[in-house]
Amino acid sequence: MSTRKTISRLATIGGLCTAVALTATACGAGGPATSGSAASSINVLVEAGGHAELTGVAEQCKKDTGLDVNFVELPYDGLFNRLSSEFSSGTVSFDVAALDSVWLPSFKDAVQPIDELFTDDVKKDIFPALVKEAEVDGHFIGMPAWTNAEIILYRKDLFEDAKNKADFKAKYGYDLAAPTTWKQYQDISEFFTKDGMYGTDVKGAVETEWLAHVLQAGSAMVLDENNNVIVDNAAHKEALDFYVSMTKSAPPGAAQVDWAAAQNLFNQGKTAMTRFWAHAYRQIPKDAPVAGKVGTAAMIGGSAGVAGVPGPWYLSVPKATKNTDNAKKFIKCAYDNNSLGIESSLGLASRISAFEKYQDKAGYESFKPLIETLNGDATATRPATEKWQQIVDTVLIPLLQKAVAGGDTAALLADAKKQIQDLLK
Amino acid sequence: MSIAKTRQAGGGTTSGNAAPDVAYRPRPAGVVHSSSSPNNGPEVSTTGGNGPRRRRHHAEGLEAGKRSTRTLLWILLAAAMVLYGFPFLYLLFTSFKTPIDTIAVPPTILPREWTLENYTNALGRSGVLASFINSTQTAIISTLLSLVLAVPAAYGITRYKTPSGRVFIMAALVTRMVPPVAIGIPLASMMSSVGLSDTPIALSIAHTTISLPLSIWLMSSFFEAVPKDLEEAATVDGCSRLGALWRVVIPVVSGGIAVTAIFAFLASWNEFLFALLMTAIRSQTTPVVIANFQTQFGLDWGSMTALAAVYSIPVILLTLLLQRKIVAGMTLGAVKG
Repeated sequence: MSTRKTISRLATIGGLCTAVALTATACGAGGPATSGSAASSINVLVEAGGHAELTGVAEQCKKDTGLDVNFVELPYDGLFNRLSSEFSSGTVSFDVAALDSVWLPSFKDAVQPIDELFTDDVKKDIFPALVKEAEVDGHFIGMPAWTNAEIILYRKDLFEDAKNKADFKAKYGYDLAAPTTWKQYQDISEFFTKDGMYGTDVKGAVETEWLAHVLQAGSAMVLDENNNVIVDNAAHKEALDFYVSMTKSAPPGAAQVDWAAAQNLFNQGKTAMTRFWAHAYRQIPKDAPVAGKVGTAAMIGGSAGVAGVPGPWYLSVPKATKNTDNAKKFIKCAYDNNSLGIESSLGLASRISAFEKYQDKAGYESFKPLIETLNGDATATRPATEKWQQIVDTVLIPLLQKAVAGGDTAALLADAKKQIQDLLK
Repeated sequence: MSIAKTRQAGGGTTSGNAAPDVAYRPRPAGVVHSSSSPNNGPEVSTTGGNGPRRRRHHAEGLEAGKRSTRTLLWILLAAAMVLYGFPFLYLLFTSFKTPIDTIAVPPTILPREWTLENYTNALGRSGVLASFINSTQTAIISTLLSLVLAVPAAYGITRYKTPSGRVFIMAALVTRMVPPVAIGIPLASMMSSVGLSDTPIALSIAHTTISLPLSIWLMSSFFEAVPKDLEEAATVDGCSRLGALWRVVIPVVSGGIAVTAIFAFLASWNEFLFALLMTAIRSQTTPVVIANFQTQFGLDWGSMTALAAVYSIPVILLTLLLQRKIVAGMTLGAVKG
């Protein structure tokens, strides 16, 4: 075959391919766009994990109202960028967005008030800290879709072992049981740190756990109600010193331990206890060495009582959507059918009644401790500042990593105060 | 280097490095050497009784040198293979592991128990097939756009060596010097304002901004390697400038076009950030779907690696199919005058 013929043939094939591709491109393989236009459908932007939570709700919504729900699913790390990009352009590809609680202050001007959905009955059935967080500048801008909090997960089999019980009592003078004070938590962690196993983990790469200790010590987190930086007060110092002290009963390399690493260590049977988000209880793999051997307990209290940092996600309606009515209809539907999220692989909800409905069922043993923690006297949400994510990434996590690696906690906190003040200027 | 030094030293026959010196001695007529090596070409004369031994040592030294060079090259090749191949192999093995095996502490290379469950989960997830189609559409359109724009641009720059051409080819690199996120967000807004949001064509255009500069540079080096005489001969035979380009030059640089095409295709196929910012329901590509296995609640390593392994198959096949063209194209670019 001559070169010319080959080229002609290639050009023909290329042309055909282009034609086919461009024709197909008219709508893409995912289906026709419906954002903001179709009368009975909406697009919901969610983080990949949240998709599972809302799938059951969407199906029920379709049955009840005829509303078709299309999910735009994105990874967590990219969702904030996508939201920023679309909100700043003024054109959005979604009608409802599931927002992480820490983003609410950042996007408060880009989403609509949904005050009419927050009736008295609704407010009564949502954890108080979440109701407070949903209200920004006098308006409710997000309906909690699901929430989470850290509880204590422990190895029931080790705690019930006769030899462990006897040895523990001999050494510490009281019975081995799920810890209810931080002193007990320290003792138990020390006791199980032997033979290649550790009592607990210390997560140096995430800040939430240290901040829960701050709440338990009776202080607001990082900023007070007037946005003054209080990261160097006595409660923060006490909480940080306690947090760092646990490293002797934890696997080495605490500075690099994040949620995923801590969860893996526990599921592999390398740690006897962990403070972790409640959803992890239902996510223990069936073939894990610890499957069926895990007990749950509420987060432990400090001088200010039980406290945790909730991790809720809110459903919000962007101002730029042309499909506001359907968007609000979906949010109401999601609230009404909130308990359907519990049936998903993640098993979370936001309504107190939804958690209570399942708390006595087998497989949902994490719910009672979760409810107790979320209702804790000192439980509070993160400070409502749009700089929060930046404060966490550039100040708090580096501070923790240096502290668990042996840094001077007082000096680190003083330094952090200056950095945060600079960020807030 | 050692030969040059020996020459400068005067070529003494008794020095320990005398072997190279032997090769420069004329061969006296009628002298026969029984120990000449068949591999060393024409026989050379030596003086003194230790000549043949020296030559044998020389040949053995060369052989030993070649062997050690070859060994070194093999070691380097093996190291490179491990460096580049191991991550992919680890990904592949992980895709066959059970959920608990994927998070083993310490990690294991081979699965303790082989399973196809991850492939079932990953491929059964809604939207995966659509994302494959979207990725293919986007990559094909982006590749064609890159070639259609890069080939004439590179030809013009190399054949009409004007100052503006030189400025243009440098300016083409500017888009590679800016962080992609700085381009991505404005591009997403622009596409949205012209009604192209969430379409493969919008993403293809965005991907072309990544691949076009590299394509122009690559094609320029390939065009440089084509002698002007070829075009002149075609012109003498009655071809127009474009006719000469189409009938003579492009067939010569077809290997280069294949290389450029595969680079453009890969740039689009694996691109993540623009796809994240610009796609939603209709045009989401597979890299975004793969990333969705990492959620706030955990990371499904097994399904993620399974989908990544499947997604890499078309690229591996394409590279193998075009391997000869790629090598030819690279050589063409490498020997330009």
